[in-house]
Parts: sequence; C-alpha cells; structure tokens
Amino acid sequence: MRYLLSSFCLLFIACGSYSKKHDFQIVKSLNSHIRNSYFSDETKDYVYKANITVYDNDFSGIFIVKKIDEANYRIVFTTEIGNKVFDFSFINDTFKVNNILEDMNKALLINILKKDFSALVKEKLPVIKSYSLQDTLVYETVILNKKHFYFKTQQLNKIIRVANGKEKVVFLFSEIKDTIAHQINVRHSNIKLNINLKLIN
Amino acid sequence: MPKILYILFFIASAVNAQTKMDSSEAAKLKAKVKAHAGSLETLLSDFVQYKHLDFLSNDIVTTGKLAFKSPNTVKWEYTKPFKHTVLFKNETLFINDEGKKSNVDIGSNEMFKQLNTLIINSIKGDMFNENDFDISYFNNETNSEVYFSVKHEKILKYIKVFHIIFNKEGHVIELKMIEPSEDYTRIIFSNRSINIPLSDAIFTQ
Repeated sequence: MRYLLSSFCLLFIACGSYSKKHDFQIVKSLNSHIRNSYFSDETKDYVYKANITVYDNDFSGIFIVKKIDEANYRIVFTTEIGNKVFDFSFINDTFKVNNILEDMNKALLINILKKDFSALVKEKLPVIKSYSLQDTLVYETVILNKKHFYFKTQQLNKIIRVANGKEKVVFLFSEIKDTIAHQINVRHSNIKLNINLKLIN
Repeated sequence: MPKILYILFFIASAVNAQTKMDSSEAAKLKAKVKAHAGSLETLLSDFVQYKHLDFLSNDIVTTGKLAFKSPNTVKWEYTKPFKHTVLFKNETLFINDEGKKSNVDIGSNEMFKQLNTLIINSIKGDMFNENDFDISYFNNETNSEVYFSVKHEKILKYIKVFHIIFNKEGHVIELKMIEPSEDYTRIIFSNRSINIPLSDAIFTQ
C-alpha cells in the first residue's frame, strides 16, 4: 500500500512537471482551440517522399495524406513502384486499417502509427492550458488520452507528445509555404523510429 | 429513345472498341511476343508511372528509365520528382535512395523471387503461363491488350490482374497492375531501344 501511494505521488509529480521543467509561463488563453492546418484542404493531395528508419532498418516510399471530409482523413504509404504498405482511415475518433502488408500487421506497430498519425492530421483541438516560452505560444491539449503540446511562433512548428513529464514523440514542421509543411519529421525518444517526409507535389 | 438507352448504347459502343480476339489471333500474338521475348538481350526505355488511388484528386506521376539485361537483371531508375533506383541483380535487391544505399537479399524470400520474376516477365510481356494466370486477349485499335488475372493466392492479395498493351511488333508499351481494391499502377514506356550494348556500369548501384 505504501509503495502504491509513493508511486502515485511520484507519478503525480512527474506528470505535472513538463511545462515547469521547461519554464513555460502560464498565460490566459485567447483561443479555445488550436488549429493544425497542414492537411486541411480537401481539394489538395498531400504527397510526400518518405524515409522511415525503424531500429536501423531504412524504408523509403510515398506517403499520402488526403482530407476526405470534415474530420475524415486517409493516410497511405506505398513503395516507389506503387505497392501499398499500409492504408489507414481516420474518421472522427475511429481508426480503420484498410490494408497493411502481412509483415507489418502487428498490433503494437499499428498502435504506434495510429497515435502518430492522429496527432499529425488532427485539425482542431481544444486548448486545456496556454503558456508562453520566449516568442512562442505553447498550447496543451489531449489526443487519444495523451498529453500534447503545440508550439506556435508565427505558425505551428512543433508538436510534442509527453508522458510522465518526458518527451515521447516530437513532430517538426518546416519549410512552410501557403499552409503546407514541405518538410515534416516525426521522431520518437523511447523507440528507434524516425519518419522524414518531404513534399513532392 | 429514352436517355438511358442512349447512354447504354454509348457504353456498349465504347466497350466494343476493344474486342475479344479469336483463338487464332491470340495464338499469333502469343507466338510473336514469345519470339520477341526470347531474342531480347537488352532493353532501355523511358517510363512514366501513374499511381491511381481512388480517393486522390490526381494520379501521382513519377518518371524514369528502365534498363534490362538478359537473363534477369533489371534496373528501375526514378528521376522525377525524386531520385530512387531499384536494381534486381544476382538475387539481391540494391536500393539507392537519393544517394543512400542499401540492399536486400531476396534469395531466401520466395515472395520477392516470384515478384522479381513477374516484373521481368511483364517487361518482356511473356506471362503466358496458364498455371499462374487466367488469360484473356483483346484487340485494342491497332494494339493488342492481354489481361493476366493472378491465380496465386499470395500475389492476389497485392495484385489481382496485370493488363499489358502490346504494339504491332509485340513489344510492351503499357503495363497496368490492378490491386484488389481497384487502385492501380499504370506504367507507359517510350523511347525504347532493344538489343543495344549496355555497359555493366549501368547495372551498378
């Protein structure tokens, strides 16, 4: 019982500490929602050349994001010659695997990709708290029960998923032109998974 | 005549533009393609690839060069909009992705071996194997078109049918690989050079 209580205390301290550890200053929120507009145009096909490194194995291919409707996204990864590696649908809070290569059909891997891509495409998120950090506004929100921080200077340039007060996944958006991020990097801290996306059309 | 009949009539005429070959025409085409495939030592060609996904507004277009050397060395080189090369040689898949090199030993992977054989055969057009495919032959204006419906269960998960268009000489001018979902990859070949000497340097990573 005593162990359980101390664990709870530790967990409590750890959970609350990310914003403090990084000197975020609480500010009164001006916005009730934060927007990620990088995949928000239904008329556009977002097509990226992708390089994925998993435990020192490199994969390359074509990564496609399409907004089908409000809160409805399709994400497909194919090889350069066009064979589908995976094909996922995100509709509101539901997730569907339309297709996945047999070798990749592992619940653990699918769950990681589901969490990453949900954060990547989610367009409108409720703000729980707002902070400032030098010239950056930081918004705290929750996606699939995980705490996320959205960093916005002039544009949204970083999302961080946090667990137990530590960075777990960092999403970086760069070379932003006309609300399209030409370069995107998704890097995990606790597993060797790194996704690099470079816009090709 | 009600509108719907006009539409049906139009569809019927459109379908009729491609007619089924009779068995002697099919046998002639098969003999021609096999003779050409048998004498094919090298092949160099440009290609344009269209990846069609039903939910996209536009197909994804990539272009590049294909080089083949008998019996089983193939290089697909994508040049636009990115640089990526896949070389099948000596049961190994050599990949060069924008300068980053890697290779995969496919000798032990039955699926990869089958896919490699399929790719080589589809470039030559010689896939007339009734054990592996249900085959239907069509006349398509001045060209011929053959549908190779996959029988192999494992391959069927990824590609259900290959449509190959041959010109009058029996050379492959277009290859379409259709997935079970109806999404497809369509590759159109142009500027073809046949049996010209190709240096080994072309077939390096």
